Amino acid sequence: MDMITIPAVNLTPILPEIILSVLAMALLLINVFVQSSKKTYLSYISFIGVVGTAVLVGSGWGTHIESFSGAVVQDNFATFFKMIFLLAAGLAILIADQYMEREDCNHGELYPLILFTVVGMMLMAAGTDLMTIFLGLEVMSVSLYVLAGFNRANTKSNEAGLKYFLLGAFSTGFLLYGMALTYGATGSTRISVIATQAGQMGMSSGNILFLAGMLLILTGFCFKIAVVPFHMWTPDVYEGAPTPMTAFMSAGPKAAGFAAALRLLLIAFPTLQADWSQLLWVLAVLTMTVGNITALRQDNIKRILAYSSIAHAGYALVGMAAGNSTGTAGILFYMLSYTFMNIGAFAVIILVGKKGESNGNVQDFAGLGFKHPMLAVAMTIFLFSLSGMPPTAGFIGKFYLFSGAIQKGYIWLAVIGVLNSAASVYYYLRVMVYMYMKDPTEDFAWTKVSAPIALCLVLSVAGTMVLGIVPSIILQYAQEAIKLI
Amino acid sequence: MSIPILSILVFLPLAGCLLLLPAWNCRRLARPIALVVALTELTLALWLYASWKGLAVNPFPQGFLLLEDAPWIPAFGIRYTLALDGISLLMIMLTAIVFCVGLAVSWDSIKERTSLFLSMMLVMEAGIMGVFLALDLALFYLFWEMMLIPMFFLIGIWGHGRRLYSTLKFFLFTMSGSLLMLLAIIALHLLYAQQTGVSSFQLQELLKVQLPLETQLWLYAAFFLAFAIKFPLFPLHTWLPDAHTDAPTAGSVILAGLLLKTGSYALIRFGYPLFPQAAQMMTPLFYSLALIGIFYASLVAFAQQDMKRLIAYSSIGHMGYVAIGIAAWQPVALSGAIIQMANHGVTTAALFCMVGMLDERAHTREIAAFGGLWGKLPLWSFFFLLFAVTAMGVPGLNNFVGEFLILAGTIKSSPLVAVLAFCGIVFPLIYMVRLVQEVVFQKERQPLSLNDLNPREIGILAILALLDIWMGIHPAPLLEMLHVPVQLLTGGTP
Amino acid sequence: METLFFAIITLVAVVSAILVITCKNPINSALSLILTFFCLATYYVMLDAPFMAAVQVMVYAGAIMVLIVFVIMLLNVRVDAHKKQTHKVALGCIIGLFTLINTAFLIFKSRAAMPMGPYNGSIIKQIGHTELIGKEMFTTFLLPFEITSILLLVAIIGAVILAKKKI
Repeated sequence: MDMITIPAVNLTPILPEIILSVLAMALLLINVFVQSSKKTYLSYISFIGVVGTAVLVGSGWGTHIESFSGAVVQDNFATFFKMIFLLAAGLAILIADQYMEREDCNHGELYPLILFTVVGMMLMAAGTDLMTIFLGLEVMSVSLYVLAGFNRANTKSNEAGLKYFLLGAFSTGFLLYGMALTYGATGSTRISVIATQAGQMGMSSGNILFLAGMLLILTGFCFKIAVVPFHMWTPDVYEGAPTPMTAFMSAGPKAAGFAAALRLLLIAFPTLQADWSQLLWVLAVLTMTVGNITALRQDNIKRILAYSSIAHAGYALVGMAAGNSTGTAGILFYMLSYTFMNIGAFAVIILVGKKGESNGNVQDFAGLGFKHPMLAVAMTIFLFSLSGMPPTAGFIGKFYLFSGAIQKGYIWLAVIGVLNSAASVYYYLRVMVYMYMKDPTEDFAWTKVSAPIALCLVLSVAGTMVLGIVPSIILQYAQEAIKLI
Repeated sequence: MSIPILSILVFLPLAGCLLLLPAWNCRRLARPIALVVALTELTLALWLYASWKGLAVNPFPQGFLLLEDAPWIPAFGIRYTLALDGISLLMIMLTAIVFCVGLAVSWDSIKERTSLFLSMMLVMEAGIMGVFLALDLALFYLFWEMMLIPMFFLIGIWGHGRRLYSTLKFFLFTMSGSLLMLLAIIALHLLYAQQTGVSSFQLQELLKVQLPLETQLWLYAAFFLAFAIKFPLFPLHTWLPDAHTDAPTAGSVILAGLLLKTGSYALIRFGYPLFPQAAQMMTPLFYSLALIGIFYASLVAFAQQDMKRLIAYSSIGHMGYVAIGIAAWQPVALSGAIIQMANHGVTTAALFCMVGMLDERAHTREIAAFGGLWGKLPLWSFFFLLFAVTAMGVPGLNNFVGEFLILAGTIKSSPLVAVLAFCGIVFPLIYMVRLVQEVVFQKERQPLSLNDLNPREIGILAILALLDIWMGIHPAPLLEMLHVPVQLLTGGTP
Repeated sequence: METLFFAIITLVAVVSAILVITCKNPINSALSLILTFFCLATYYVMLDAPFMAAVQVMVYAGAIMVLIVFVIMLLNVRVDAHKKQTHKVALGCIIGLFTLINTAFLIFKSRAAMPMGPYNGSIIKQIGHTELIGKEMFTTFLLPFEITSILLLVAIIGAVILAKKKI
């Protein structure tokens, strides 16, 4: 029997993942020795860790390193997305502490779980093997199930965790089945090999195994990025989960889903582009429309943002349906902008909310504009950005995505997108109407703004505005990031 | 050109907002700051007016007097391009004046959240200045949307009546229109990129795109929709009476005096030059919508009980004439339309101011509540009579000039339209006479103890009245200023 | 002979799978599930994958099922008298049938050639199935194998956080 020779392993591409995992495990140990009143230190440590990792990830820009015989890669695409994940995690960590303290569930395990989620997301973005992507997705999902149900005393949080777990596990089945079929059709789980096999054998929609594999994989990702008709879990989970985790969930994992789906569709399944492009056309229209129309009738602000997040996934799908360089770069840019504006909006929601997840209705925002002008201004900026008004990041993002669709010739898709965007303005404005044009129903019992949340708000406002006014800084990175694909 | 005067015009109001921050809680300090900023804008605009002939000696390409250009978002080829020609100069002056009026008229009436009000006004001024100056379509769109946000807050926070309904309606109407225009802009940009290999949003570049007629029609329709909502043309006007009525006085003044003009200005600047054939084909539609608007709005105006609503409907009617002047697309009619935009801006601003002043005193705008004001408020009644007579189109006052030029220009190309529009002129006569008769002359219907105008209000109205008379008697300098750009637009030789 | 065997096993697998979801008593469901797992293990044997078959029996039919049965017994799940929801069942049947027909049609329609993976029957016979799995696990799938450890760690943390009485 011959010995197994382990292939040469270059750890550089997964160094960020290793650092975060080690940090997470160290935090678990530290947690044991920290008094429950001083868990704040854990958030500082993990925030510093995230920033450090971001520096490390950023320094890898422009390189292209494959490792583990092609199971993982470090390229600009992965780097761009890793930065988004780290940003989402960093902002979420900043807003978590005060909220968790208020809700009496400030358990130290929160931060390691956030870090593990980031590890999973990073593996999804960097994975070039179906197995890496799948396991990355699982690490991410399992952490998220726990994070959604983290507020154990709250029934809604329990429900969120359980619901997310059941539906998530269900969707994982689809994804895995799709991967198995793709393996059966092409004989490999390496994305590059799948692509070459499919190209050589001329596999297109005639090959049912290949097609079904693609469709099932797509279904699996559609669950994760909350695409209609696989969106049923989103409102309940977003509403029930602790608010900082909702913020994190709506930004990071969504971006991770798009990262993996983009890599798979564009590299492994280009021969099926005609099929998935049409499919995504329909899904994008459904997602935008259902998300926006349902959001019109909501009163709970977290639910409004949940439905709006479905709608935003729809806008991003417009870019994916286009599948050209403008559309895909648009997704990258949009995910970054969305991270800033959405987490920012959730930070304001945390500050307005009261213990026990109360005070979360639109009506509770009445008079905020004059009680706490700065907070309201920040919220106004986020809402205008979400509705896509210039000069904010949301506008440039939509501009980019719809440009991609028009370039591809999907005029009607762009028109439907734009009409949706007009409809969405209504529910964002409704919040503003309450903030500025109604008198408060009761006095705001003001919790003071802790320094981390203030930092998060400043960063989010700055990000939203800078990306809107001088988007060139990021646009060129986004365009470089998709060059390899 | 060493001083970027156009950028200063756009960004000075925004800087003014920052200046307001230190005085945020001090109303007595904030108001003068805002007014000084607005007056500085006016000075700049007047200085440009005084020196336009000197600038016209060495014009930029396409007859622009001033041009500022810098790259903004190179990835899309979006540039920061501001340009000034005669048309935009007139609009800039109108903007500067109307904002001074708006600030002055709300000097005392806005008692709550004054600093926020003032900063919203200044942001609005920046947005409107930008719309009148931008030459890059993406930049134009930015300013176009930027105007909406402050107006949303102006109506929603300081408005009356069903202010929330009105402000949402206003915002959603205008937003839906402009979003479709955004798509058309993107499409135009992509077609240009396809044909030339370079990406650009600049008007001068996009004019070179070769468009098949069908594409042109679609794109023009999207632009037209956005502009027609602002205009507002007949079936799309429903936001206007609500927004005007429920807005605070300054808001109504700006809505009527400036916001409506952005629609007509953009149609002249972008709509027609970019899609000449399509615009030509749509002319009959444009004419008929304008005519229906004139008749319909006048009839509805006749039935109004609320003075502000009446004037709002009269605005729709008057803008109908502007629409006819543009639709004729012929030098005389177009100059008339542009002059009429300025005239209407001054007159309607004055009328809204006056209704606002009356409202502050009597706390009602019902026509039926007043009567016999001539005896009680002689100064107010004098000015009201003057502006009402202007709105009727009496010679010697400014509306007459515009309407005359529009009809004179239109009669050559489409006599039927001119004749019908001429018949429409009778309507303002009827409803304005009724308004004046009931409010000013009739016997007092219920006892109201009212004070006459104070010096501040006299000042505002006197300036507007002087402008009204000056533009009515001696419009030649303005027409001269418009001559070159109008000739260039309509394809004549300057 | 092999086809006949396959057909019998499949019949058993399908019937027991249906029993899993139709049985009123959870214990019966669990036992049916064990049967299904055994059928799956038989498939692995037929595919020259004895190691997988053994793992299937040990892990699923052994460990996991024992856990499930324990939980059922500890929680003392009562048999709920469910309301009959005939139209929902009917809808499910229709959709299922439709999907089945659709799948069958597509499978029979397409007979495209599939590329073989790097290992065929003779290589497996020569080197040995278990060894190959081990080899792959430490070469091609080294990284996914390592990620699994993180996944398990996260799952343990999650279980502790969500289920422990006092943390």
